[in-house]
Amino acid sequence: MTTQLTPTQHTLLWDNFRSGDDHAFSKLYELFAADLYRYGYNLIRNRQLVEDCLHELFLHLHESRERLGPTNNIRFYLYRALRRRLLDTVGKENKLSSEAYLFDSAEFLIPPHEQALVDDELIDHQTRILIGELNKLPKRQKEILYLVYMKGLTYPQAAEVMGIAMKSVYNTINVALATLRSHMHESFRQEGVLWSLIGTGLSYLVYNLWV
Amino acid sequence: MLYPTFTVKDFCKDPAFIRWVTDPTPELIQFWEEFMLDYPQKIIDIQLATNYVSTIRFAEIDPSPKDLARLKKRIWADIDQQSVPVIPMPGRVLGWYRQPYWAAAAVLLLVSAIGLGWWKYQANAALTYQTAYGKIQEIRLADGSIVTLNANSSLKVANHIDNSSTREVWLKGEAYFDIAKRQGSNFIVHTPGVQVEVLGTEFNVNTRREQTNVVLHEGKVQLRAYNQLAVVMKPGDMATVIRQSRHIALKKVEPDVYDAWKESYIVLDGQPLSEIVATLEDTFGVTINLADAQLANKKLTGKLRTEVADDCIENLAIIIEADVTKTGNTYRFVVE
Repeated sequence: MTTQLTPTQHTLLWDNFRSGDDHAFSKLYELFAADLYRYGYNLIRNRQLVEDCLHELFLHLHESRERLGPTNNIRFYLYRALRRRLLDTVGKENKLSSEAYLFDSAEFLIPPHEQALVDDELIDHQTRILIGELNKLPKRQKEILYLVYMKGLTYPQAAEVMGIAMKSVYNTINVALATLRSHMHESFRQEGVLWSLIGTGLSYLVYNLWV
Repeated sequence: MLYPTFTVKDFCKDPAFIRWVTDPTPELIQFWEEFMLDYPQKIIDIQLATNYVSTIRFAEIDPSPKDLARLKKRIWADIDQQSVPVIPMPGRVLGWYRQPYWAAAAVLLLVSAIGLGWWKYQANAALTYQTAYGKIQEIRLADGSIVTLNANSSLKVANHIDNSSTREVWLKGEAYFDIAKRQGSNFIVHTPGVQVEVLGTEFNVNTRREQTNVVLHEGKVQLRAYNQLAVVMKPGDMATVIRQSRHIALKKVEPDVYDAWKESYIVLDGQPLSEIVATLEDTFGVTINLADAQLANKKLTGKLRTEVADDCIENLAIIIEADVTKTGNTYRFVVE
């Protein structure tokens, strides 16, 4: 996916950057700019605004690198900083509760066909319904799911990025999983996919035993 | 290990499981493969949980490599601008524009020496123009745009301005821009905190005195300050952005008043004397003291030629009916 660095590599890169290594700073940009852009664009559908905030963010990082704290997850650190910056900027412009704007247009992705599953068309139909349900979730809950499931943040990190309590994160995950379960379970049972899953599982097992 | 007792839901909530599905590392792959071999009865649950977790995916829009390259260029250019060495002057709290002439000249020489050396080594490095006090320079850019740089100002021009989709320059001081129209290529003037974006137009930008002042002569420009929503300006508009408050004020003005400096005069259009004095200080690199506080608020009209500092300031003295004395670089007005 994006940044396959181990926590140790994160710490090393971040520490090099903080001690004034310009290569480390370039590397930070190469590794995280696109990723931050994607998150930013899901938060606010305004390219120019996201770009300007990233511009300010990287300048700020460079300027105050000696004063920054340590981290072993740079993505978490930068997400938090970018979200705050976007929130401030949007708040200044609209003089309204700026939270209201964030993550407004982010949508779940309808996955491409899973070749392994039996009936593509039926699965596709079920998936669409499921995605529709998920898209009905409040956007704050969606953002939590995004941070945890797509960006691999831990629960405390997701809570901190969004400035909410851990309890909200847990609750959201439970709600989302319940939605998934009711819809997926239903569809799988109906379409007999469960059997194919068992089949897949068994062949997987056999494969692993052979290798 | 608790995993053998895990339900589908438990797997879905487990960070190590999530990472294995979304962003696997070799260690995670090995771990979960071994786990499935040890606990084959869990394989169905794991498959189901995998399906759940991989359904939680959002549509994402990738920035184009061009966007990323442009943003990078912008960041690095600003970093370069910030890292111009500052020569500490202990015990003196003078504005940079009030520094003695020789210091400014030395800095200028240093900057231009570095600039020249750099330029020689790297043929495609950005060009920087700098005018001395009392001097105006007309610059024709590679894209055909004409920039008139007022005294004591600098303009940095991005590389390859003639064949880039975004033409960018960085301004300190004051300049008048006559931008050549180019299909699909916008022109951005960066000043501290403010960006002026145009398609093809004429306008004046002044960044002195802790504020950025943009006066639009003709055409259309978009002004963006500190990431606030863009303000679109019409001809005859003057936008003033005060750096400290980050506030944009828009008002109608007579544009000729604001770019008369190009023809080496300033138009006095009812501004208080203090404003005119500030302009002259910036232009000539001198200090002007008003002995009388009341003098500062005196409003003036007329025209003032600005070719020669001494003449100009003497003429000003005549207009306000004051005596002027000069010591070094400092002029002092005394009301008769």
